[in-house]
Amino acid sequence: MAETAQAALASTQAPAVSKTPVYEVGFHLVPTVGEDGLGAVVEKIRKMLGDAEIIKESYPVKMTLSYVIERATQGKREKYSESYFGWIKFATEREALPQLQATLQAMHEVMRFLVTETTREDLTAQRRAVFSSDRLEGKTLEKPTSMPEKPSEVSEAELDKSIEALTG
Amino acid sequence: MKGDYIAQFQQVDYKDIETIKKFLNPHGKIMPRRRTGLSAKAQRSLSEAVKRARFMALLPYIVR
Repeated sequence: MAETAQAALASTQAPAVSKTPVYEVGFHLVPTVGEDGLGAVVEKIRKMLGDAEIIKESYPVKMTLSYVIERATQGKREKYSESYFGWIKFATEREALPQLQATLQAMHEVMRFLVTETTREDLTAQRRAVFSSDRLEGKTLEKPTSMPEKPSEVSEAELDKSIEALTG
Repeated sequence: MKGDYIAQFQQVDYKDIETIKKFLNPHGKIMPRRRTGLSAKAQRSLSEAVKRARFMALLPYIVR
């Protein structure tokens, strides 16, 4: 009886865990942070997530932006053409998001961020090696060996016959 | 076919720039559905991913 009660409890609890919505926060860090300061900023963002389950993350990498981002901070306009872009995929309750967004907004190291709802599964396309042909790569193409033509022996009579046929 | 991956997942990740670029014209505009050959759902997902990628400066708004 106790086993069935436990099983019932487990079945009710299991969907609750999987039903937790999954979000992803992508962020651009200002290039002035530098390679050395990245770890501290990422750790700060991870702490902001609190008890959220971190599913996957990408450590920030330097990238060139598609356009110049302007930001006004402390009465000055800052222009950035490159940044450190990283993302964290996490599962948490919906109510925790506004606070996360407000905190990210207040962080001066974070130039821009985007919180999106996503799935646990990876959405990026799996890259496949593409070959131009089906033949084995690395194998040298060999020139087809042509058989040397052997001069066939023609009898005198046949030669005369063919000449006559040509001259009519 | 270039739409195979989107047709399979019906969702596009805004960080997957390589895939998204296949559905943009040289000016950086989203190709119409009659050209991409995607389902309505996949085309909406693509459109949203492009707009997110533009906001995050992963893609330009305009290419001259």
